[in-house]
Amino acid sequence: MMGAQPFETIVGAHHAEIYRYIRRVTSRATEAEDLSQETFLRAYRAYRTLGPEANVRAWLFAIATNLTRNHFRSEKRRRVAHQAASVERRETDPDGPEDAARFGEARMLVETTVGRLPLKQRQAFIMRKIHDLDYEAIGQSLDCSSESARAHVFQALRKIRLSLDGRALPPTITEQPR
Amino acid sequence: MKGKPQSCLEIESDLVAAATGDAEPGAARRVERHIDSCPLCRGEFHRYREIDGMVGVLRGVPLAGESVARAREGLESRLADLRSRLVSYRIFPSPLGNILIARSEHGVSLVEYLGQRSDLAASRLSRASGVEPQEDGAEIEALYRELLEYLRGDRTRLEWALDLRLARSDFHRAVLRATAAVPYGAVTSYSGIAAEIGRPAATRAVAQALRWNPLPIVVPCHRIIGTSGALTGYSGNKIGLKQQLLGVEGIHADGSRDSHVARESLYHYERNEQREYCLPTCGDIARRPIGRVTLMASRDLAASLGLVPCTSCRPDLHPLAV
Repeated sequence: MMGAQPFETIVGAHHAEIYRYIRRVTSRATEAEDLSQETFLRAYRAYRTLGPEANVRAWLFAIATNLTRNHFRSEKRRRVAHQAASVERRETDPDGPEDAARFGEARMLVETTVGRLPLKQRQAFIMRKIHDLDYEAIGQSLDCSSESARAHVFQALRKIRLSLDGRALPPTITEQPR
Repeated sequence: MKGKPQSCLEIESDLVAAATGDAEPGAARRVERHIDSCPLCRGEFHRYREIDGMVGVLRGVPLAGESVARAREGLESRLADLRSRLVSYRIFPSPLGNILIARSEHGVSLVEYLGQRSDLAASRLSRASGVEPQEDGAEIEALYRELLEYLRGDRTRLEWALDLRLARSDFHRAVLRATAAVPYGAVTSYSGIAAEIGRPAATRAVAQALRWNPLPIVVPCHRIIGTSGALTGYSGNKIGLKQQLLGVEGIHADGSRDSHVARESLYHYERNEQREYCLPTCGDIARRPIGRVTLMASRDLAASLGLVPCTSCRPDLHPLAV
């Protein structure tokens, strides 16, 4: 069974999101570039066999998640990614009014904490909280049950909460709609 | 969170889910009841809500060094490269043994007799450079069905778009194109094809090109024979297959080792201005080397090629016995 839409449409609709997902998971732009391309090349090879009813977005996230996991199997790469997460924090510290600075600092702390989460927790957290995937899709991507996917997100939030312990968040931030 | 009461520990995951908009309705109600009476958890709940708000902001914030456009550009180029390399194939049983059919985005690129083998390693596809083979389904299945109809004689044309990339050279491709133009139910000679592509001295090279024909049956190299009428060769030593394929089209050859087509049962056409075709008994036409002569199994075929009956031998009045 051939996928229902031309592949170009799939690329147009999902490439930027998949890139950003991998960019967040790996903390490195070059890896995001390469792995997002690899995701779509794999998808292209398999696209003909995809049923017309398939959830293409969830399917692409699953491919990206697997590729990223394989990529991180190398300890060396993992270490580099952690360093990148720290460097990024320093590079993008904002200047500005106190609230903005406080917010910027807290945001960076969250991003750094996310960057240091164990891979599955990080992937689950980013898929759920940044890209709004449902737990069933996340479970399929991570090759686990939706309950386990939920537990990964819980653990991630708990660690973020601990990293922010004692820090006041600017009140305006909490009003941001989700 | 040391020292927390058991009830607080038990509800912690629901509390986090409820504060971040992720709880089932029942769990959210339980959390609500709990934080009404537990100031510590109420504080935690609000803290998680703050964090959730902050995470919400992260969604819209680009990351440092983001380069979606560059990644997309690279993807387009890698996709184009993959598309040109990707060849999907399947292997099917057939009355002629196992057959591999492969196609690219441009068209069918390989039809290969595998005999008893049924694995990719037996195919030249596994050794072709610049090609990425991929086992694949539905579209090739349709080609296979048409091929079976053809082999049964229920279909006389395989109107497939062709991709000649697996041919070995431009010369081979020219030979294949000229051969593809020889219609169902007709045969001509290697030297006829050589003349057709403007290389009249290259008869042996034409035979070599057809020996490596990546698309047998579809590019009907079985319709090309020696000037003596001998079948000469087919896909290595598969003369029997050639005989079988021609037989389906109404062109018969005797069964001996040095098989020749039965010219006495075929109409002959040698290029002439009047475009007249003849009976094999017209003058010495059937005794001359085939050369640029085309032999045809039926008058209908001759008519479909725009040929008219010879006014001397009158094939229209004296049809050959079928």
